[in-house]
Amino acid sequence: MLDDFVVSSFIVTWLAAAVRLAGPLLLMALGEIFAERSGVLNIGIEGTMLLGALTAYLVTHASGSPWTGLGAALLVGAVVNLWLAWMYVTAGANQVVVGIVFNILALGAASYAYRTAMGAATNPESITMFQNVHFPVLSDLPVVGPILFSHTILLYLTLIMTLVAEWVLFRTHFGLGLRAAGEHPKAAENAGIAVQRMRYAGVLLSGLGAAAAGSYLVLSQIGLFRDTIVAGQGFIALAIVIFGRWRPMWAVFAALAFGAADALQLSLQLFQFEVPPQLLLALPYVLTIIAVSGLIGRAAQPAALMQPYRPG
Amino acid sequence: MTESAPALADNLHPMVRLSGIVKRYPGVLANNNANLTVAMGEVHALLGENGAGKSTLMQVLYGACQQDAGDIEFAGRIVRFNSQRDAIRAGIGMIHQDFMLVRPFTVAENVMLGLYQGGAGVLDVNTVVTRIRLLSERHGLEVDPLARIDQLPLGVQQRVEILKLLYRDARLLILDEPTAVLTPQETLALLASLRSLVADGRSVIIVTHKLHEIMAVADRITIMRNGHTLATVDKAATSEAELARLMVGRDVLLKVDRPEQVSGRRLLSVKALQVDDERGQPCVRNVSLDVHAGEIVGIAGVDGNGQSPLVEALMGLRRVQAGRVVFDDNDVTNKTLAARAARGMMYVPADRRRMGSLDELSIEDNAILGSQQQFTHAHSPWLDRKAIRAHAEALITRYTIRTPDSHFHAGKLSGGNLQKLILGRELMRNPRLLIVEQPTRGLDVGAIEFVWAELLAARSSGMAILIVSTELEEILNLADRIIVMFDGRVMGELAGSAATNEQLGLLMAGLQSQE
Amino acid sequence: MRLQFERRLTAESSWWVSSVITTGAVLFAFLICAVLFLPYTSSPFSAYGALFAESFGSLRGFGLTLNRAAPLILVALGTCIAWRAGFPYLGFEGSLAMGATVCAWLALAVTVTESSAFTALFLLAALPLSFAAGGVWAGAVGVVHSRFGGNVVLISLMTNYVATFIVQYLVAGPMRAPGSQPETPRLPELTWLPNLIPETRTHAGICIAVIAALLCWCLLSRLRIGYELVVTGLNPVAAGYGGINVGQRQLLAACLAGGLGALAGVVELLGSQHRMLDGLSGGVGFIGIVVALLARLHPLAVVPTAFLYAALAVGADALQRRTGAPSSIIHILQSLIVLTVLAAEVLRHWQIRLKPSPTAGGSLHAG
Repeated sequence: MLDDFVVSSFIVTWLAAAVRLAGPLLLMALGEIFAERSGVLNIGIEGTMLLGALTAYLVTHASGSPWTGLGAALLVGAVVNLWLAWMYVTAGANQVVVGIVFNILALGAASYAYRTAMGAATNPESITMFQNVHFPVLSDLPVVGPILFSHTILLYLTLIMTLVAEWVLFRTHFGLGLRAAGEHPKAAENAGIAVQRMRYAGVLLSGLGAAAAGSYLVLSQIGLFRDTIVAGQGFIALAIVIFGRWRPMWAVFAALAFGAADALQLSLQLFQFEVPPQLLLALPYVLTIIAVSGLIGRAAQPAALMQPYRPG
Repeated sequence: MTESAPALADNLHPMVRLSGIVKRYPGVLANNNANLTVAMGEVHALLGENGAGKSTLMQVLYGACQQDAGDIEFAGRIVRFNSQRDAIRAGIGMIHQDFMLVRPFTVAENVMLGLYQGGAGVLDVNTVVTRIRLLSERHGLEVDPLARIDQLPLGVQQRVEILKLLYRDARLLILDEPTAVLTPQETLALLASLRSLVADGRSVIIVTHKLHEIMAVADRITIMRNGHTLATVDKAATSEAELARLMVGRDVLLKVDRPEQVSGRRLLSVKALQVDDERGQPCVRNVSLDVHAGEIVGIAGVDGNGQSPLVEALMGLRRVQAGRVVFDDNDVTNKTLAARAARGMMYVPADRRRMGSLDELSIEDNAILGSQQQFTHAHSPWLDRKAIRAHAEALITRYTIRTPDSHFHAGKLSGGNLQKLILGRELMRNPRLLIVEQPTRGLDVGAIEFVWAELLAARSSGMAILIVSTELEEILNLADRIIVMFDGRVMGELAGSAATNEQLGLLMAGLQSQE
Repeated sequence: MRLQFERRLTAESSWWVSSVITTGAVLFAFLICAVLFLPYTSSPFSAYGALFAESFGSLRGFGLTLNRAAPLILVALGTCIAWRAGFPYLGFEGSLAMGATVCAWLALAVTVTESSAFTALFLLAALPLSFAAGGVWAGAVGVVHSRFGGNVVLISLMTNYVATFIVQYLVAGPMRAPGSQPETPRLPELTWLPNLIPETRTHAGICIAVIAALLCWCLLSRLRIGYELVVTGLNPVAAGYGGINVGQRQLLAACLAGGLGALAGVVELLGSQHRMLDGLSGGVGFIGIVVALLARLHPLAVVPTAFLYAALAVGADALQRRTGAPSSIIHILQSLIVLTVLAAEVLRHWQIRLKPSPTAGGSLHAG
């Protein structure tokens, strides 16, 4: 028998974890929306996230400041994705191939750099992390407090970024040009938009998002680095973009849904339910397959997604 | 007729003057000493057959490519446009046949696109909407600025294109075949708007080969042939007959000898066929026709009046909504293309590079496309490479395909040789009915004569042939019976021997139905 | 006079230009990775020497290279068939795991009889069964794709994770051996792949892989079905016009690819690991794709390419033991080679020309 107290504390734990897990996913999806809206499917966000996590860990470890770590991760994400953008846009290489191979490269590079920097020591050292923000009154509210108002600054920054992304994409000339580059590059070029530059910008933003998401993971959730910490979250972000129909605001709900599925598995284990955890772990991936299978969201896909464009 | 422009030009300020334009492409001299002067406030028509060099000349003017020789003078200054953006900035705008509109965007968003003025770049929708309303009222270009493009009919989309240029205050508007996709009412409205634009002091160039539109709207007409500008004439001083003669450049057209027709039994019978386009709109409406053994039936019509969907439905490549396709007394309406081919229905598609052949494969591999089942060692899944090579070599010899060898990639063949390969491939499969779409589009005269001769020879051998062509000359030369399509319907049927250009023209314009 | 880069209308396609560019790109990748050896050895080039000496220098090392190459070849062959049919399948990690799981189940379920024919009979049953399991696993993606038109890349990537969780569940639950590790019991020795070279651990997996390569080559260049697969991949519209059922052919390609991936799992299971566990593949499902891309999706070119990649991996493992240089350098090298080759593709579109500069009075209208 479960009494009311157990049930309500279960739900609060679960939803708080859902929000916590959704944060990095949302951040990464926001960036990827810009890449895909400009016409580039950047699968390389998986690898970028790992490199971001590594940089954040190493730099924070050395400097003691998580903000420095975050900044360094963003820098690495930007540099690496400029190169990826060159491969996608200027060289016009197959976007899937470049993305997949880059992910292997990033995995190798991250594991090499970690071992080289930290030595073969078996005991990983944890680093200074962001602390949970304490809102007066709000954080002390029952139920709502722990679910919404007891997270690190990164979550609230991510939510602000969502609003900014929505505004930039739909209310500015930059957003209009970027979307045109992904829908009808030739028309965009004709109207005087530099399509290639827009696509560079899209890929760059997705790189920044992914690197930030990697830092998020390390600096506000784990405090350690391992090569396995990303484990497919980049691909989940791709699914969130589709679920969210390529709109930042809707991506919030998609990210929460994925976070919730993941958190349910953790919470159920905590409360010792007899459900194989793998079943729940597999759930977000199965949801993704359903989402990608064309049952939802095909019509909203940018028309020129994955099509290289050569001006002139 | 003189080379120089008539007196009219001297009274008016020239908006643009192209002199001695030369443009070469590998193997082609697209423009050879082309001259064109367009005055301020006139509608100037550029007239010529396909391949006369009209598009190239306009691309040079619009900055999409650069001339190898010659000068462009715009608003009194010699200019050189390195890109389309340069041309737009100078005040030249072009409306292409396929519209440059972003479909999920609104009208206003399409107009705003690329108009970043600096600063934070916040979209100011209200100002844009107000100005669009103003412009559209002034020039009779009615459109809802907040409607999404993909929900607007083509005629309205074209107005959006014009508004885009007016919003950028283009002084010279170039329209490429502007009426190809319009209904007669939309065409009338467009022509009225063009008059309103030139009344404003702007100039308009329309590139076309429709004579009656020219007579309705143009002030002067420049005729192009073989890459150079032949003459510029005043509308008032000319007639459709004279323009036609100038455009074609010969009174005696390419003529072929047609042997007596021996018509046999009915092979193909199409009954009340109904086909939808990708957006679910009917594009073939209630079409019925027959083709008999030993006859050539020609389907004439302006491009995009349902001919391609009709053919695709006949071959089983597109879903039939209603009606029946009967071949040799068998209902094949819902049969696959392979099943139709097995009964003897073959097809030469209009798009030779993207549908009829595989660029990256050899002539040998292309020669068996569709009949790959026949080129296997008896009752085995193994391809018989020796037989394939022999077949390809026979094809090359029989149809005089110019190629180094049978391993040559099909993508490197010239258009004429590729068409010989495709036509020959289908003919060697011994079809009973052959459907040929645009048999000679883009081919040179030699290749045209070759293709025509082959088709007539096939007819003599008792084959039933259905030709879809937008070239009247071709239809008149080859067809025993002519069916004219307009807006997805059969407008009328004429006997090939009795048909005249005028009759066909009226039917193709949808102006006169036989009933 | 000045140097000028000009874009060609069509890519330069002569064989020597491509081979010069490819070789250059590969050397460039090796050069970059040489820098990565610096913290661990004084001379990175002797590190490369030691690396190849390890994988080719001894019979034992060569055997290890063969063992590593076999699953790589099988995954790469699957990639060749699927991708050339226009089905960009990326789910080899998943089909590999599913094939290995089914094979492990069979090996643990059969009653072992001490006869010389047992191993042969077992393989005769296990190979087709696992092939079918992988075929169905990948075929499901093909069905979803042809029914709903979903994106193959994304769907097949997700199926990898689903397969991983299925394996994790099985080895932690129903198939778990008594003991602390989540893994199955060791498979009976008679179900293992027979040893090929005495005194080494070389197993017969390489034979399966090479035979598969020959069969795939026959399929793609000698069989009618293969012709139809290639046509489908090059141009689905032309394929439809040629009477080929595009959906069916892609489904076939998907099944074959999944089956080949499953065989890679069988080889890894029966040849090297001898028990089912999570992470059996060690990334072969992705490195195999890289191998296929580098071999330009040609089934025969896959074999030497896989050898090279396997040799790098074997050598790197030994180097890690000896000098402490992390073996993940090899992942960097393996992926960097493909990326530099892809980047070098750009060069084929450009030519360098000596041109008179315009100020020197050169004509703009040069013919």
